[in-house]
Amino acid sequence: MPVISPSAFAPPVASRAANDAAVPVAADLRERIRRLERAHSAQRAGQAAVPLGVAPIDALLPEGGLLTGALHEIEAGPAPSGRVASHDGAALGFAAHLLGRFGAKFPGTLLWCRRPSGTFDAPPYAAALSAWFDPARLLMVTARRDEDLFWAMEEGLRCPGIAAVLGETRAADPTAGRRLSLAAEKSGVPALLLRPQPAPPQSVCTTRWRIASAPSHSTPGLNDIGGARWRLQLRRNRFGAPSAAEIPSWLVEWNDETHCLAVVSQAFHGSTRESDARLVG
Amino acid sequence: MRLADSRALVPDLITTAGEPQADRRLIETIANWCDRYTPWVAVDPLGGAIAEEGTEACSAGGFGGDAGLLLDVTGCAHLFGRDEAGERALLADLVERLARHDLTCRAAMADTAGAAWALARFAERQADLFCPSHGQRAALAQLPVEGLRVDTPILETFLKLGLRRIGDLYPLPRAPLARRFGDQPLTRLDQALGTLAEPIEPRRAAPAFRTRLAFAEPIGRSEDIAAGTSRLLAALCRQFEQAGVGARKLEIALYRVDGSVDRTSIGTSRPNRDNPKLMKLFEEKLGELDPGFGVELMILAAPEVEAWNGTQDALPEAGALAASLGEDGTVDLADRLALRLGAENVVRLLPRDSHLPEHVQTTANVSAKPVPSGAWARVADLKGARPTRLLQRPEPVDVTAPVPDDPPRHFQWRQHTHRIVRAEGPERLADEWWRPRPDGSRPPANTVPPFRDYYRVEDDDGGRFWLFRDGPYAAAANGRPTARWFLHGFCA
Repeated sequence: MPVISPSAFAPPVASRAANDAAVPVAADLRERIRRLERAHSAQRAGQAAVPLGVAPIDALLPEGGLLTGALHEIEAGPAPSGRVASHDGAALGFAAHLLGRFGAKFPGTLLWCRRPSGTFDAPPYAAALSAWFDPARLLMVTARRDEDLFWAMEEGLRCPGIAAVLGETRAADPTAGRRLSLAAEKSGVPALLLRPQPAPPQSVCTTRWRIASAPSHSTPGLNDIGGARWRLQLRRNRFGAPSAAEIPSWLVEWNDETHCLAVVSQAFHGSTRESDARLVG
Repeated sequence: MRLADSRALVPDLITTAGEPQADRRLIETIANWCDRYTPWVAVDPLGGAIAEEGTEACSAGGFGGDAGLLLDVTGCAHLFGRDEAGERALLADLVERLARHDLTCRAAMADTAGAAWALARFAERQADLFCPSHGQRAALAQLPVEGLRVDTPILETFLKLGLRRIGDLYPLPRAPLARRFGDQPLTRLDQALGTLAEPIEPRRAAPAFRTRLAFAEPIGRSEDIAAGTSRLLAALCRQFEQAGVGARKLEIALYRVDGSVDRTSIGTSRPNRDNPKLMKLFEEKLGELDPGFGVELMILAAPEVEAWNGTQDALPEAGALAASLGEDGTVDLADRLALRLGAENVVRLLPRDSHLPEHVQTTANVSAKPVPSGAWARVADLKGARPTRLLQRPEPVDVTAPVPDDPPRHFQWRQHTHRIVRAEGPERLADEWWRPRPDGSRPPANTVPPFRDYYRVEDDDGGRFWLFRDGPYAAAANGRPTARWFLHGFCA
């Protein structure tokens, strides 16, 4: 059966709501297509998605945000040759941001499963994570094997008291990913996978993000470090709206005072690098 | 008698080397097996002593004549029949089942441990082995004084005086007896006759809550074992409800047809008497149990119980957190995870008031009191910018820093040079002189405590790192700076 993507004939997002009100038939059709495509995906607290908090990015995502009953992958951008873990802190920060978004919407425990893999077998540092969510809500699980890690995540996804589940591992196992995805769809609990480095793409996750740290913006005349900036790529966007670029990419800045993430306009940040200019969409 | 003398008397004497360790193991196995009758099983403490003295006492087991087991079957015999018939049936069952394992034993039952001990060793007729209730005085009267469990010198004196039967002691006045022989004979006599209590010390703590399920035919399939566990659990949960407690630890034991016992246990972080939840925990562990050639008896016991406070948990201060913890089964999830991954691997993070970054974060068990919701934010507000990941062990880096107190220009870590574009710092964190050091010593007074200068740096690639210099630059001995630099974490 040919499945027509809702985005194939979707009007620009900004006018979608107005159109829906005006033409109930279109809204009804859109809802029917949504059910056809994601009938199995459970809603949670009447909410199918949680917005990322960044308008240009949310516009591309299905339902205007990250689907709750789905698997989302976050991978740290490839480190320049020879360097180790240069994007680890950024990927961790973005993962914490997503956990915080889910945690703000749903009450309950945030399950953080790790499999220490040699070099950086350190847990996340809660004093820094408290910018995104209350670390008292964390339940930290350490697994020695990847099977145990995926098992713990699945158990967490089935548990109604869990707001979101995050797994930190190098393993890229399509079967495990599929199982996590199904468990998330069934219960409506969002699942996140955080990888310290890019893994071979799997087709099971709903969104896949690649995060790399980007040079921050100093106060003019000073050499200080501004708000954390990340280069964010949306490498997979299932059910989402198409974008002009093949891989939509943004430069975002985390504001530590207002606790929000915002896209940095290129004109303002004045990148000196060729790659930045190309990547910022 | 020596071995050579014995061989001279009986030329075809069969001899084997004594193996006290193996004997001990066997008697322990039999004691485990006896748990099927009662949780109160003790290995007779006098067994070894008597053998050394060379007494020819015979008791359970055919080796050395020294091994004995004491079972307190109070309240257990009703499973075999009513009143005395049940007790007789239990005794017969015990002897018969041990005989099936090729173990010869003499088992006696009496109101007191002392009387049973004497009867098992010295009763002449088979019928005397069972002593009816309150009949121990008459039963013991005809037994030799060796049955009184007194020390050998006292025993020899008794024999010299012509006191050959226990009954001979009955009419003697107590005061002169005590003056002549000390307390022991009277104590032993009173214990055997039941006027003085003699509790037996079980090998493992007798659980207050316990259910058993015996099978007419041995079972071996895992489904059957799961079904049996489920039935036992239902019965045990009813006991919990009546007593108003919940289990913290449950242990299931499979008694196999070959006489061995296999056990496994589960733990919960809060008192629990929810049958389906406990069953779910058991399902994880039942796979580890080996039914062997078949299981004829299952016993489910609760070695650890705690008062159950009606609700799973009512922790007022944590508000929504506590509500979600109890109602939505996070604790049950944590129990399941802890069962497979180990309790130390399923933890919550606790803040700790400390200046040293590596001491700020500690872990606690899930059952511990939850952190108040604002505690972490308060800790984070007090500190400067912190990394999202803190290395457990700071990694040494090579640094080029032109001016001693300025941030570095380059640092080399893992054979790669990072050129530093932006930097913040220093943030000076001094040693906590008011706390004793890990080795217990206190820092010497009137000295500058050791400190670290932390810098947050950003390299030309955008990576943000947390570096520190360990102490000040001291006067260089051979022209090189003495302070060492470390990488301590990755910032967002």
